[in-house]
Amino acid sequence: MAGGGIGVDYSLKGLPRMMPGLIVCFILGWLALQWDTSIHKWSGDFKEAEKIMKAEKEGKPFLPYDEYKTKKSESFAKKQEEYKAKMEAHKAEVAQAAPAEAKKLKGPEKPKKPHVLNQADYEQLTKDKAIPGKLSFGNLMIEFQLTYVAVLLLGGMLIRNTIGLPEVLRAGTVAARPLIKPGIVILGAYYLWSNVLKVGVFGLVMVLVFVMGTAVLISIWGRKAKVDDGLSGLMSAGVGVCGVSAAVAVAPVVNAKPRDFFYAIGTILLFGTLGLFTFPYIGQALNMSQPVFGAWVGTAVLNTAQLVAAASWYGHESLLTANIINIVRVSFIPLIVLWAIYFYVVKPAAAAGGSSEKIDAWQVVKDKFPIFILGFFVMVTLNEFGVFTPDQRDILGKELLKIFFAVGFAGVGLNIAFDDLRKAGGTAFVIGFVAASLKAVLAAVAVIAIGTEFFSVH
Amino acid sequence: MSEKSEYESKAQETFSAERKEDVFVLVLSTIAVLLVMFGVIGKDTVKSLFF
Repeated sequence: MAGGGIGVDYSLKGLPRMMPGLIVCFILGWLALQWDTSIHKWSGDFKEAEKIMKAEKEGKPFLPYDEYKTKKSESFAKKQEEYKAKMEAHKAEVAQAAPAEAKKLKGPEKPKKPHVLNQADYEQLTKDKAIPGKLSFGNLMIEFQLTYVAVLLLGGMLIRNTIGLPEVLRAGTVAARPLIKPGIVILGAYYLWSNVLKVGVFGLVMVLVFVMGTAVLISIWGRKAKVDDGLSGLMSAGVGVCGVSAAVAVAPVVNAKPRDFFYAIGTILLFGTLGLFTFPYIGQALNMSQPVFGAWVGTAVLNTAQLVAAASWYGHESLLTANIINIVRVSFIPLIVLWAIYFYVVKPAAAAGGSSEKIDAWQVVKDKFPIFILGFFVMVTLNEFGVFTPDQRDILGKELLKIFFAVGFAGVGLNIAFDDLRKAGGTAFVIGFVAASLKAVLAAVAVIAIGTEFFSVH
Repeated sequence: MSEKSEYESKAQETFSAERKEDVFVLVLSTIAVLLVMFGVIGKDTVKSLFF
C-alpha cells in the first residue's frame, strides 16, 4: 500500500481524534532523528580518531588542539583552491568540445568539508591514547545499521506488542503512516528524467515480469487449489502489486468478504514485515550495491511503507532506485484491477455462456490511479528545468524527507501488531507466501545479473 | 443491508478516502516545496532542530 494507511481522511472533523497519536509519532520521530544525528556524528568522529591514532603510531606526535584544527582548515582551503583550478579547466574543456561530447565530460569532485573532532573528544583521545567509547559506540550502531529507521520500526513494534497502544493514540498513529508519501513526492527533486527513464525502463521490465507474474500465478494457482475467488483475488493483487492499496482496489471486483480481507492483509503485512527486517541483512550478505538492493526491494517487498523503510535502512542511493521502481509498481494498480475483472468476472461469465457488463477500462484507470505519484513527476520536471539549487535539493530530498519518513515510520512501527500478522493462514496464505518468496528469490537473481550500472540513479 | 454489500460499500468508501489522502499528500508536498523555495526552510533549519 502506498504509504501504509488504508485511506486516511484528513478532514478537520477527524483532526482532534488524530492529534494525540500524531503528536506521539512526531515526538518519537524527533527522538529517533536525534539518535540518528548523534550516531552519524560519532561514527564520523570515530573514523577521524582512527586516522589520528594511526598517524601517531607511525611516529607523528599529537598536536595541540588549536594546531590540529588550523591544519585541518588549511588542508581544506588548499583542496578548495585545487578544485577551483580544476573547475576552470573543466569549463574551458566543455566550451571547446562539441555539444554531444561536452555532456559526457565529467567535472571534478567538490572537496568535502573535513571532519574535525571537538576539543573535548580530541583531548580525551590524546590523553588516553584510545578512541573515546562514545565514538566507538556510534560506529558500532552504524555498522549494525541501527539508524532512525530501525529504531522507529523495532521500537514501535516492541511498544505495540508489549505495553500496547492506548485507544486514544490509535487513529493518530494510523494517520501518521501516509506521511511517508510526501517524502516520496519531494524525493523527486533528486532525479532527472533521464534517470527516471533509465531505471524506470528496467523497473518496468521487473514489474511486468515479477509483479504481474506473481499476480497471475496466484490467481491461477488459487483457482486450481479451489480457494475462494475473493481471497485469491485479494492475495493476487496484494502480493503481486502493492500490498494493501491494491487489495482495497480489487476487493469490490472479486466480491471479497471481510474474512478474505483480513487473511490477505495479514499475509501481506507478515511478508512485508519479514522482508523489511531481513532484506537489508540479506542484501549485505550478498554484497548488493545500494542501487541493486533498491531495485530488489522495489520489486520484492510487498508494501510501500515497508519497502521505503528497507531501502532507507540500506542507504540513500538505494532509496533513490527503490522509489522509481515503486512508482512504476503502484502505477500498475489500475492494471491489476483490470486483470481481476478479466479473470474473476469476464472469463467465468464467458465460460458459463453468458455475458458480463461492458467494462470501461479508462474509467477503471481513472478511478484507481494513485494520483499522489503525479506530484513525484512534477518534482522531477521542476528539477529538470533547474528550478532547485543543490542546497534546496538536499533540504527536500534528504532533510525534510527524513522528517516525513521518521513520523511515518513511527506510525508503521506502532501499527505492527502480532495479532494482525496471526490473521494470515490457510491455503491462500501458503500460496501467497510461496509466490512472494519465489518472487523475492528470482528478483534477487535478476537484479544482481542486471547490475549496479543499470539501476544507478547518478 | 447484507454483510457482503455492506462490505462492498465499505471498500468503495475506503478507496475514496485513499483518493482524499492522496490529495492531502499533494497539498502537503506543495507546501513543503514552497517553504524551501522561498527560503523559509533553509540550509540549517532542519539541522537546528537537533543537538
